[in-house]
Amino acid sequence: MTTEARREARGPMPESPFEGRLVRLRAREPEDEPKLHEWFNDPEVTEFLSMNYPISHHAERSFLERAVDVGYQNANFALVTRAEGRMIGGCGFEKVSAEDRHAELGIAIGDRAYWDGGYGTDAMRTLCRFGFEIMNLHRIQLDVYDGNERARHVYEKVGFRVEARKRQARYKFGRYLDVYVMGLLEGELRLDD
Amino acid sequence: MAPRPFEGERSRLRAREESDVDVFYRWINDWQTVKFLGQRYPRSMTFERQWMLGTESRYGEAQFMIETLDERRAIGWLGLHAATGEDRSATLGIAIGESDFLDGGYGSDAMRTACRVAFDVMNLHRVDLTVFDWNERAIRVYEKVGFQREGVLRDAIYKAGRWNNLVHMSILEGELR
Repeated sequence: MTTEARREARGPMPESPFEGRLVRLRAREPEDEPKLHEWFNDPEVTEFLSMNYPISHHAERSFLERAVDVGYQNANFALVTRAEGRMIGGCGFEKVSAEDRHAELGIAIGDRAYWDGGYGTDAMRTLCRFGFEIMNLHRIQLDVYDGNERARHVYEKVGFRVEARKRQARYKFGRYLDVYVMGLLEGELRLDD
Repeated sequence: MAPRPFEGERSRLRAREESDVDVFYRWINDWQTVKFLGQRYPRSMTFERQWMLGTESRYGEAQFMIETLDERRAIGWLGLHAATGEDRSATLGIAIGESDFLDGGYGSDAMRTACRVAFDVMNLHRVDLTVFDWNERAIRVYEKVGFQREGVLRDAIYKAGRWNNLVHMSILEGELR
């Protein structure tokens, strides 16, 4: 069902907006810290992410202390597999604006064993559904760096469109990268391949 | 016989304990439970534990577990929120987390006990609640025990991709059935 169709719907609630086909969004916990520390100090994971420096245990701990209280201004989740409940990454929204009904999306699959197999696509669909159906956003925006073809392919598949190309906006690992700004409006999310 | 204000015919209301955190975490993250509630976001175990340990029942915020009388099995929770001494009024919230107990009269029984607590223990004059207009089973229960509809807030809650109308109901002292 499209977001527009859902908006017109009335009556009993549909299926869980926290769950996709393969993954589920759950609130973060302090116990998540060791994996986050491992992933976000792995250059293969951070190659296309916004962080520049190694991250300490205490920085991860204080991030998680803030993250345990989920809400409109703090919609940040652990991504876990539905099958085993295994945490494979994280995702969430930043810079949420109620006036604009706009937020910036961030996502990382930290466990490399889940980089293929549709987990990222399913996670994106689940998170965007959450943004539209629970947070009532109108627009979701993200950045993707030139060279991150796998991610860009996923974003386009679920309905994001490239809206701008910021030339040489990031310097990563000795070279400048162009940054694409992508946007998705309500009603544009594609839930099927 | 000594009065048992926290007991009904099938269930009792008891204080929440630290050992309830696990079952609470399961319920509050189970869409089949929270789809009926105002709760919108997944909750962390950490938040749940802090909340449970930090909110011992008092006049302004009375919180209970609902457990079965016979097996003492926790099946849901119930709260009387925001009571004011001036108005002698509070807002009731209830949820059955164990789906096996959605039928069988446990909800009605807990509602009656909660109203008795409100009127006989807390000396309230009025208890109110809100419920989604499509939650007909709950509305039937509330009407059965004596709550009356007071009005509908149109499109008051956006949840799961849809606008929901919110029915306001209340019961005054002397109206409990």
